[in-house]
Formats: sequence, C-alpha cells, structure tokens
Amino acid sequence: MMLFIAFVLAGIGTYLIRISGITLLGGDRELPESVTKTLRLVGPAALAAIVANALLLDGGEWRGFSAWHVAAMVAIVVAIWKKSMGWSLVSGAVSFAALLLLGM
Amino acid sequence: MNPRNPGDRRHPLKVALSVGRIQRVDFVAGARAIGPLSPGSFMFGAAFGALIQVGGFNSWVGMSGSVLVMAGASQIAVVESLRIAAPIAVAVLTALVINARFALYSAALAPSYSAFPRRWKLALAYLMTDQAAAIALQHADRYPDPVRRRWFNFGAALSFTLAWYAGTAAGIVLGPIIPPSWQLGFIVPLMFIALVVPTLKHRSEIVAAFVAIAATLLLKDLPLGLNVILGALTGIGVARLVR
Repeated sequence: MMLFIAFVLAGIGTYLIRISGITLLGGDRELPESVTKTLRLVGPAALAAIVANALLLDGGEWRGFSAWHVAAMVAIVVAIWKKSMGWSLVSGAVSFAALLLLGM
Repeated sequence: MNPRNPGDRRHPLKVALSVGRIQRVDFVAGARAIGPLSPGSFMFGAAFGALIQVGGFNSWVGMSGSVLVMAGASQIAVVESLRIAAPIAVAVLTALVINARFALYSAALAPSYSAFPRRWKLALAYLMTDQAAAIALQHADRYPDPVRRRWFNFGAALSFTLAWYAGTAAGIVLGPIIPPSWQLGFIVPLMFIALVVPTLKHRSEIVAAFVAIAATLLLKDLPLGLNVILGALTGIGVARLVR
C-alpha cells in the first residue's frame, strides 16, 4: 500500500514535470541558459548516484568484490565503445550470467 | 510528400469515421523510428517487474507503477527506497529528482508541440520518455505539418510505452520462477549503466557523474537512502561551478 501511494505521488509529480515546458513555453520562448545547463546535468548525476549506491554499496555497506563489479565493468566498456544502451545491457547480462556459472 | 495535407479539412466526416491513411503511415513511421530501442524498453520493463517480485511487493501495485509513473529509473528508485524502509517522502523526492530531466525535454519539445491541440499535448506529455523525446526532436524538421508531426510522435511514443507495459507484465509473471541464486538485483546497476554511460558526452556531464558517485559513497552512512539524493545534487552543483 505504501508502494502504491508512492507511485501515485511520484506519478502526479512526474506528469507535472513532463507537461511543464510544453504548456508554459507556448512557442519561441526559451529557458534561461543557466537553467538549461543545470537540467542537462540532472540525468547524469542522478543516474550515476544510483549506480554507485546499487553497485558499490549493499544496504549502506561496501559490497565485497564479486561478479557484480566485473560484469558492470564489461557493461561500461561496451557502452563507451558501442555508444548503445542495448549492447551494454546484453554484454553486462551475458558476462554476469557467465561469471555466476563459473562460480564467481 | 504534401506537407499541407488539406484532405483532412475537406472530408471531416471521413476523418471522424476512421484514422486517415496518411496518419496511419506517419504513426507507423514513428513506431519504426523508435523500433531499435523498443526491445530495450521491454527488457527494462521486465527487469522492473522482476524486481517487484523479488522485493516481495504486490503484482498489481507493481504494474500500477509502470502505468502511473512510466519512468523506469524513478520507479526502481521508489521500490529500492521503500525496500530499505525509507519514508515515503524520501522515495517520492528521489523519484522526482531523477525525473527532473523531463523538464528539459519538455522545454525542448515546446516549439514543436505548440501547434498541437491541447489533448494531444496532454497525451504526448504522459508518453514522454528519454527515447521518445530524442526521436521527436531528431525528426521534428522532417515533419513541417503539425498534423503529420503529431501522428509520427504518437507512433513513436505509444509503441515505446506499450513495450514498457508488456515488459513489466512479463517480468511480474516470470519473476517468481527465477531462483534467488541468479542474483536478479544486478539488473538495477546494469540498467542504469546502460542508460547513462552512452549519453555522457560533455565534460560537465562526466564531472557531474563522477562527483555524484564520490559523494554518494562518502555519504553512505546517512539514513533513509538520503545519500543518493544528496550525491546527485552535489554532482550537479559541483559540475555547475566547474567551467
């Protein structure tokens, strides 16, 4: 139930964010450059923070070295090399599965 | 290609009875343009669905997340926050920080959407994703006629969203079959890596990402998952100061 309430609130807030520019900026008006620059950094910073928290930490403690780190490294290298979300996902998942099968 | 498309005006009855041929063509063109990315939407959705099951949450509540929020990164952040017993306010705030980037897309799409009827703006805003927004921006100049443009955007955004719903449902159904030894939780960092790393281009973005990582780790002992929000905000702040 808590989760449902959280989804409802996050859903309302997210929709307001999505509709903001479309409704407020009728046509040619543009956001100030400082705002645009800040918004452009939100995605990279927020997503990187989540990666750090989910990969390198485990419930607030350091995660011991494991298949997680190796497979994540593979996904990062492939993402930089191929510039592709799909290839990064596939390479990370395949290498993670292989490492688990090898008993890492 | 006739950009004016006057047929719509002359035969209002025909348009009302069925979606015109050109609209269908433009809708399909949109779905095709986003097509290579749609399997990723399905897989990401499936991962979210599986996470709902792994976390022991209700399936319908999980499905509702994909319909209500419709933004994978933030949905996972909500689930993760509540799983570590963070307060609901922290869960929602984390989600909104992650989704703040949609304000940028919304502003960028405003000129292209300004000629659309209100209900189209409202619907397309709901269907906005990183990928659909990128496709809409890339193709805006190729569709000078707003009617054709909105159908193209609708085809891209709707097909991507339907893949997201279908993936979530598949993940929820298949989740319980998957044994814990598969360590499905790895999907969380993996998806975010796949989502963020290919998009890092400018130096300031890379600085923001690395500072956010460092700050999140340094603040690891903070309660309630606050290290993620504060880490992200620190990354943004420091990257804005660095020239």
